[in-house]
Amino acid sequence: MIGDFLLPPGWIMIVGVLLLPLFNRRGAGQAVAVLVLSVLSLVAFLLTPSGDYGQLEVFGATLNVVRIDSLSRIFGVVFHLAAILSAVYALHVRDVRQHAAGVVYAGAAIGACCVGDLMSLFVYWELTALSSVFLVWASDSERSYRSGMRYLIIQVGSGVLLLAGAIIRYVETDSLAFERFTPAGGTISLGALLILLAFGIKCAFPLLHNWLQDSYPEATVTGTVFLSAFTTKLAVYSLARGFPGTEALIWIGCAMTLFPIIYAVIENDLRRVLAYSLNNQLGFMVVGVGIGTELAINGTVAHAFCHIIYKALLFMTMGAVLYRVGTVKATELGGLHKSMPWTTGFCLIGAGAISGFPLLSGFISKSMILSAAGEEHRLVVWLILLVASAGVMEHSGIKIPFFAFFAHDSGKRPREAPLHMLIAMGAAAFLCVALGVGYPLLYRWLPFPVDYHPYTVTHVVTQLQLLLFAALAFVVLMKTHLYPAEQRSTNLDSDWVYRRALPTLAHGGGIVVKSVVGTCRHAMMVILVRVLSVAGSLFNERGLLGRTWSTGVMTFWAGVLLAICLVLYYL
Amino acid sequence: MQTEPESEEQAAPETSWFERPENQFKMIVDLAVACVLLLLADFFYENPHPHFAIETTFGFQAWFGFVAFVGVVFLGRLLRLIVRREEDYYDR
Repeated sequence: MIGDFLLPPGWIMIVGVLLLPLFNRRGAGQAVAVLVLSVLSLVAFLLTPSGDYGQLEVFGATLNVVRIDSLSRIFGVVFHLAAILSAVYALHVRDVRQHAAGVVYAGAAIGACCVGDLMSLFVYWELTALSSVFLVWASDSERSYRSGMRYLIIQVGSGVLLLAGAIIRYVETDSLAFERFTPAGGTISLGALLILLAFGIKCAFPLLHNWLQDSYPEATVTGTVFLSAFTTKLAVYSLARGFPGTEALIWIGCAMTLFPIIYAVIENDLRRVLAYSLNNQLGFMVVGVGIGTELAINGTVAHAFCHIIYKALLFMTMGAVLYRVGTVKATELGGLHKSMPWTTGFCLIGAGAISGFPLLSGFISKSMILSAAGEEHRLVVWLILLVASAGVMEHSGIKIPFFAFFAHDSGKRPREAPLHMLIAMGAAAFLCVALGVGYPLLYRWLPFPVDYHPYTVTHVVTQLQLLLFAALAFVVLMKTHLYPAEQRSTNLDSDWVYRRALPTLAHGGGIVVKSVVGTCRHAMMVILVRVLSVAGSLFNERGLLGRTWSTGVMTFWAGVLLAICLVLYYL
Repeated sequence: MQTEPESEEQAAPETSWFERPENQFKMIVDLAVACVLLLLADFFYENPHPHFAIETTFGFQAWFGFVAFVGVVFLGRLLRLIVRREEDYYDR
């Protein structure tokens, strides 16, 4: 059926999960099995040549179950890398739920970026939602259960929108192919709009974003590392394939880069700060997709690649802190560099990479998107991305490492992270440096030919100016005590609408409906009583209509009636 | 206030290299020197492909980075006034 290879990409991991119960759940067997499956899947993926496989005819529609081209190849590779890093990081976990959920989730994401039609995409789309929610639920708390429920409803909702969009598109175009949905300069059809909305939810577009900041910080130590890699980048991949050059995406992306950085300033939970930061980074990619030139798409893909690695690294370091200290609240941390020096070092590398310091991975990818905005002479977009870059420096470059590992000494002296975590973090940190220095290797894999040189004097100097003066601003604000102190708090975001406003409205609406219904009933009863009493008074033995009349009176009225008829007849 | 977790080994808050005031002062001075050097660097190269006129003005990304950072932090302070609630807001 599938042609010249055994299983579609990702299926080694999805099917391999059935082997997990064979291992003793108290031993490391399951964790190692997940790692082995991920590595095997990567090898199989690299050995599979590009092309279309497995055309199926289902109810007259053509499905293209496997399509590997340059775009899916690079996402497939980085998803595998993320799965392997996460699997190493999770070697201490003795919970089959998390292993199974993680490996199926990664496999589904890999499968999703290697499909050629919307129905197959829908299947993988929902599989990522259904598997990943267990990584949230595995925290085993009331909070994580509720958060996971909200996450699941929104993710499955996104899938339903995708399905609806696919069906409408099939009616519109007679094709289910997953290809570019917007012809250049053309208007967007209803089917494509629904699909865009589905992608937008998973990509955490503004006002559709809050499932991300809600659920990721509630997942387990290792679960968040898995989560950070796949769902949102699958959405970026889908946008890059379906909607390149869509003008609206530029502005959506700009909004995405801006508002999360402001939330990140005041957020106390450092994993939630990273979730806001993730949202901001997605903004850069969405802008790249919106610009849609070859340089912009290359920049988006390169940025997604680098981002998955350094974001996983940052979540790993915060996970290590959570694992050792039991909290990642900035108010309760500080001074950890004394007892966790390796984790501190890796965190600093991740922070440097996301901020875009030269020689680290963020520099060689983010600058492509900024240059693409420049080449299109979009000044406003370019300035917004610069503000966003300074914002990244603020929350991920400084806040995360500073408040966790330095700042005021919390007195906590947790042990250094376990060896396997250090290995995973070290490997991710190595990749950040390797991508920053050996960038031509990455550029070779990009979907379009690259004629771009990140290390020009102008780029390096201006980028360092931006970052170091931002750091200087931090020093000034700290010394003048203008930098807002960390506070324990919940900051309202768009989830307030469905966690507070709608339930309150529904409750209030219920009261209104109840009182309206009550008033109506009361009025009806009053009227009914009146009618009955009037009828009673009319029809009783003394009433006008009920009493007995004498024959004379009846004859008199009959005479009157006949007289009236006679008069009317002559008129 | 906060109970100490079991994993703590030594409780004595010894100061590390990063916490000594003289080293902190040194780091800040180094940062300031680096900033000045980066500003001066603007005299020694020319941007071959400027996309916007503002790019070529002296120290543009330097002051822009500073202002953007301060702006983001102050917007954060402003936002806190609006959206901040008790930590257990949703649990009540």
